[in-house]
Parts: sequence; C-alpha cells; structure tokens
Amino acid sequence: MKTVGVIGAGMTLFRRRLQETGKEMCFEATKMALDSAGLTRADVDMVVNGTAPDAFDGVHMKGEYLADGCGGYRKPYTRVFTGGGTGVFSTIAGWWHVASGLADVVLVVNEEKMSSCQPHPQSVFAHIWDPILDRPLKPNLVWIFAMEMNRYMHVHGVKKEDIARVAVKNKRNAVGHPCAQLADPNITVDDVLASEVMAWPVQRLDISPPSDGASAVVLASEDFIRRRKIKDRAWISGVGWCIDSTMWTDRDLYFPEYVARAAKQAYKMAKISDPRRQIDFAEPYDPFDYKELHHLEGLLLARKGEAPILTREGVTERDGDLPVCPSGGLMGVGNPIAATMGQKIGELFWQLTNQAGKRQIPQEVHTGVAQAWGDLMQYGSVVVMSS
Amino acid sequence: MTFLERTTDARKLRHWEGNMEADYIYTSGVAGERFFVALRDQGKMLASRCAACGLDYLPARLFCEDCFAELTEFVDVPQEGRVAGLTVAHLDREGVRLSRPQVWAFVTFQGIRGGLVHRLLVPPGRARVGLAVRPKLKAREDRVGAITDIEGFEPVGS
Repeated sequence: MKTVGVIGAGMTLFRRRLQETGKEMCFEATKMALDSAGLTRADVDMVVNGTAPDAFDGVHMKGEYLADGCGGYRKPYTRVFTGGGTGVFSTIAGWWHVASGLADVVLVVNEEKMSSCQPHPQSVFAHIWDPILDRPLKPNLVWIFAMEMNRYMHVHGVKKEDIARVAVKNKRNAVGHPCAQLADPNITVDDVLASEVMAWPVQRLDISPPSDGASAVVLASEDFIRRRKIKDRAWISGVGWCIDSTMWTDRDLYFPEYVARAAKQAYKMAKISDPRRQIDFAEPYDPFDYKELHHLEGLLLARKGEAPILTREGVTERDGDLPVCPSGGLMGVGNPIAATMGQKIGELFWQLTNQAGKRQIPQEVHTGVAQAWGDLMQYGSVVVMSS
Repeated sequence: MTFLERTTDARKLRHWEGNMEADYIYTSGVAGERFFVALRDQGKMLASRCAACGLDYLPARLFCEDCFAELTEFVDVPQEGRVAGLTVAHLDREGVRLSRPQVWAFVTFQGIRGGLVHRLLVPPGRARVGLAVRPKLKAREDRVGAITDIEGFEPVGS
C-alpha cells in the first residue's frame, strides 16, 4: 500500500445563500487547493466528489452536474455519498485511489448548496425517516437529535451549561476563519441558554444552520511528493469508517458505537494504541454542540461522560491540552454538509503544516484526527493525519 | 405478492401515502448573471473567452473546464448558427400527445465551444440538420433574464 499525503486545500465562504452555482463554488475551492499545492489540473490523475442528497441543491445526479467544477472533465471521476459522513469519507475514497497505486494525484472536492431548497432543507431532511413507521407522524429531523442529546444528558447527568460551552468555544474559535458564517467573539453560555427552544433540549444556538459552500483537498503519493519536493504536506496515517444499525431504535443513543469502531480501525492503521496520549488535536463533527462531546467519547479521546468535564476544565480550548475544533467547526464556521471537509480534513492539513494563521494551535502538533457523522445518525468516518 | 396489489385506497391500510414536498430557487451564478442580463437588456448572447485555450464558451461560464482558468472576458456570439441535431416531439413529458408536433434542436455557432438546445420554429417538414438559424427573442418588455427570453430559433431570412 502506498503512503498518501495531503498537499493542498481550499474552501469557499460559507453563507446562507451564495450567488455562485454549485459548479462555480466547486471551481473556486478546487482552484484554491490546486494553487496551494503548486499544481495544475493537468497534474491530476483522478477526481472524487463528495456531496449529500441531490434534493438539497435541487439537481438530480448532482455528482455528474458538478464534475467540471471539480476538475473532473475527461478524467476518472466518482461521486461518493455517506450523508454528513461525506465530510471525511470522500477523503477516504480519495486515499484508496492513491494508496492502491492506481493514481499519483487525486482531487477531492465536496459541495453543498442547501439554499436552493425552499422554504428550508428541513422539508427534504424529513424524508430520511422511515416512510411507514415514522413519517406519518410528521417528525422534524431535530427531534431525533434532541432525543439523542437528552439520552446522553440523562445517562451521564450532563448539564446544559456544559454543552453550551462547546457552542461558545467553537463560535469564538471561528473568529480567525476567513470562511466563517457563525463566528462570534462575544458569545456567552448565557446567550446559548437563552436562545429559542427548537425541540427541547435543542435550542437555536445549539445547532448549526444550513449553508452553501465547497471545499477541496489534493492528495498525492509519497513518491510524487518527494519527486516534486513538496514541503507542505501532512500524511494520512489511518482511515476508518463504519455504519451501525439503520434502525435508530436499535442503538443506545448515549454512545456512538459506529464512531468508536471507525476510530479503532483508523488507530490500528496509524499504530495508535493510546489515542488520548498520541493524538495532539481533534476535529470531531459538531453540527450540534453536544455532538462534539459525543464524538470525542466515540473517538476514545475521553471516557464515556468525561467530554463535558474536559470542556469545562478548558482542556479542549485551542491552547488546552487537547484542542478540539480549532477551526471553529461546524458550530462556528458553518454546515454546508459535505463541504465541512474544509474544517475537518482541511484544518488538519493547515494545522499540521503550520498554515492555520490566527487559528494555529500555539503548541507544536504532530498528529490530528478528523471525524464526520451522517446518514440516519449511524455513520462514522475517521481520518488520522500526521506531520 | 405485494407487486400485484391493486389497492389505491390508503384507508385499507395496504399502503401509506407520501409526498416529498420541496420547492427550489436557483442562482444563475456569476457567469450566468452576465449572460442573462445581456440577454434581457441588450438582446444578445455572450460567450466567455478562454485566451489560453483559444475557446469561447456558450453558455458563458466562470471557468475553463480544460485548463481551469477563471474566465473574465466576454464576447458576442455570432448572430447566425446552424442546427447540429434535432428531434420532433410527438408526446409531452407526461406522455400526452401534443396537438401539433414540436421541433427541438441543438444549435451551434462557428468558433464557439458549446451551443444551445431550444425550440426550432419551423414545421417538422422543414427541419433539417445544417439549417442556418438565428435566435428569436421576446420583446424587451417581456424579457426577464431567463432562457425562455429566447422563443426559439428561426431560419435566417424568414
């Protein structure tokens, strides 16, 4: 198996509604990633696109529709999709193109244009529920997360204040991010606790709203990186992915077993036996504040029920012992589903190559983990990267 | 043997009705905005030029799909095009027979990469590949900046 490195990354602004078409957003992110790697489209062997349901953009088979914007014209091109998990999974798909020896250079481009869907993407989200058992009850997707959050809080006796600290941390971290939609340098725990209740215990500021955006990364083989003398690179040292039972009623919602299994697969490949000691920082998927805590435990970076305590003690702050979502995450930068690759894989690349600017973690970091989560709450994808 | 079911009454509890309700609003994009504003206000079609590849793209676009340059220069598309391929539709998209067959064509322009698919405003008997055509636009006051500002293509000299 070939060793694979990330050598470039780019992302667009994340906004509620961008003028650019999906193709144009893909082009901007892809061009930025290629420029940062010092490559042109001619250097690219294959292209992977990641994007969530067609129904968001309102273009059927949007993988094909976006292909030219992703640099896919007349190249081997594939779209992959694992719901929100696509944010990290598409990089895994890109990785296997290179690790297999089939390609030297692969572009991975993720996109979402959720503003096309009116009045709100919720009307489309509602259709991931079972059509016979659940949908006749007219559920709102937030209900399912509210029940998971409630179960997590109940099992461990977690207080809402400790969950709100995640929203505050990430929205403040995002202040240094040039693409951020939801940065707020002055937000407080009280602001989160005073925000509108959507589906208790989920309040308005516990959740990251829909967005438009695109992101891209360039992957290359070790041979190519050495031959071209590319200095800014971060190695992909482990990958893992897992799906749990598709019946959400068949899972105990307090712990993301699918993330733990994906993480163990990735850690084994990366030769990580003690994640808390060997991993310097993390970018877990945080479309809700409680999900960062949930996923930190799934990633085995905190014991079950310990993540809120680490957060309260400042361990997960950018200058803490285990910085978590130094990018600002989905809570701070925004949540155009698959395009959140920019805060996950992109941020690992920028941090590990010392290019994160104002967001750079003050202490030296050598190993980071990125994770995304999706489908009907049961899909986990994990990538470990090292300098 | 569910596939043999003939029940269409949900009250008989053999099926549940569903409807994926979603409406869409699309942005025409950065290059699309230029294209449609020129079509609406000036009654002309724009192509975007890739100097590096020596190509003019119709419809106008933000980037060259080949060399991946950002395209910022726009040129006028020639007034006259040619029918490159055509079809005569007898059924609408619901499968209902049209009162009169409609001719649809793919129209290309000399020196232009791409082209447009639109109505060909001739009787089926006169439709042929190679026919010289030009766009027929709606009146200025009726144009809104959409592909339907073009009524179709009509033969040159008609």
